[in-house]
Amino acid sequence: MIPSASVSPKRQKAISVRGLRYTYEGGVEALRDINLDITNGEYVAIVGGNGSGKTTLAKNLLGLLRPTDGEVIIEDRPASGRAVAEIAKIVGYAFQNPDHQLFCATVEEEVRFGPLNLGFPETEIEKKVEHAIESMNLDRFRKTPPLSLRLGERRRVSIASVIAMDPRVFILDEPTTGLDAQEASELMGKLRVLNEEGKTIILITHDMKLVAEHAKRVVVMSQGRVLLDSDPRGAFSDPELLRQSNLEPPPVTLLAHRLSELGIPKDVISPEELVFQIMRVRGGP
Amino acid sequence: MPGFVDLYTEADTFLHRMDPRVKILAVILLSLLAFVLSGLYSLLVLLAFIFLLLFLARATLSRTLFALKFVLRFMVLIIILWPIFDPSGTPVLASFGPVKITEPAVWRGVTSAARVGCLATVWYILMFTTSQRDLVRALVKMGVRFDFGLALAISLRFLPTFGALIDSIKDAQRARGLELAKGGPLRRSRNYVAVLVPTIVSALRTADSLSLALQSRAYGARADRTYLRDLRMRSSDGLVLGILIAIFVLPILAKYMLNIDI
Repeated sequence: MIPSASVSPKRQKAISVRGLRYTYEGGVEALRDINLDITNGEYVAIVGGNGSGKTTLAKNLLGLLRPTDGEVIIEDRPASGRAVAEIAKIVGYAFQNPDHQLFCATVEEEVRFGPLNLGFPETEIEKKVEHAIESMNLDRFRKTPPLSLRLGERRRVSIASVIAMDPRVFILDEPTTGLDAQEASELMGKLRVLNEEGKTIILITHDMKLVAEHAKRVVVMSQGRVLLDSDPRGAFSDPELLRQSNLEPPPVTLLAHRLSELGIPKDVISPEELVFQIMRVRGGP
Repeated sequence: MPGFVDLYTEADTFLHRMDPRVKILAVILLSLLAFVLSGLYSLLVLLAFIFLLLFLARATLSRTLFALKFVLRFMVLIIILWPIFDPSGTPVLASFGPVKITEPAVWRGVTSAARVGCLATVWYILMFTTSQRDLVRALVKMGVRFDFGLALAISLRFLPTFGALIDSIKDAQRARGLELAKGGPLRRSRNYVAVLVPTIVSALRTADSLSLALQSRAYGARADRTYLRDLRMRSSDGLVLGILIAIFVLPILAKYMLNIDI
């Protein structure tokens, strides 16, 4: 980490979580003492096996669930006491299943629903809707009922409906589930564009390949705790730790581990790197 | 939430082991009895008897009161409202303008509340001691068509699932800035469209794949059905049935043949 001197770190902070605990009504302790700081413009992957608390954490960030203990701070102001609709102006959340939110007669109306709720002025809403539809390539589906679209397209509509709300932080819960490789890589490309535009991306997933390719920081969760918080390279170099969270490094990293006797380093996270390392070991191209 | 949808609690008591058909019959008889009895004291005796059964089924008081929360509120309402709308009888205890509160009306209110309490508690025993599967099995044995029984079992089974689904959809829409409780009644019911449509669509999708799953397991391939667990009356069930009929018939005999006011 290089400390940035020019911008005060306080201003940069998008989300700050302090000693967060969350216990469900039935007594299940889903989160036990989470501490996390996410800076504006970051691309963070929150990974962990099923039931590790990823989604519970995300819901706490938006105020859909309220901490049993500890606090969530959104852009330097505590989330407690702020309505979800208010936090939603800063933090957008695309749910795992797009069918849980699509209900309008046309894609255009669907995308307009969020900004309309947030009470933006008319002209601004139109601009935001246009931008969202364009950035998710939904132009030809404008007048199509969203529920008649394919899953990949429905997912794009649901993400567009978050983009239209113009939040500074995007939380995406398993955005590639049920998508084929082509659709998934297109979608991830669009998220990368969002990130390059300066948006903070919080990706919830258990697809380690996605994490290796896209995230710049990995938060590994297990049983309601943060097990590890580092860059992908650091996170994948310790497969034992990942296994504690029912995860496995991406195939290319596992392959590098198998080849480590040949002198290949264990922290390879992309095919290109592996090729480079093999070349290096063989001695020149 | 699940505890509210399915009141059944597993335990090994004679009420849990009893043939569900006998239990259904028992509950019907005791309910009828609650209507036959008109005196407050006899209703209270019946209520005490029902609570004794609940105790024997190992139901805790706190759970029972929690499950019957809505009924309790309803009973309080009856006790309050009855005297206000029933001005008959004397002596008059109090009067506010046209509203007259009379002593017999107060007692009638309490009696009706006790009757409602009896009815609710006796059905609660049935739900508390009988799994949904056994209930459906009993209904089918009693002549309800199997398809209807299965449909009923499936709907009961999916109630908690849909509860969770609706919660998730509400969260998804709140994340889009929807405030469900905002605005007047018209606006609020419009807000719920955003929850209702995804719920119905998801329910239809679930129903569709469920019917495929049933077909793929050869549902309906044979006209006559066989059962893994068949219901069979045991001698203890017969005994209970006998006792119940006695409990039911004796007060009726006393009331209508001997003209004892109970």
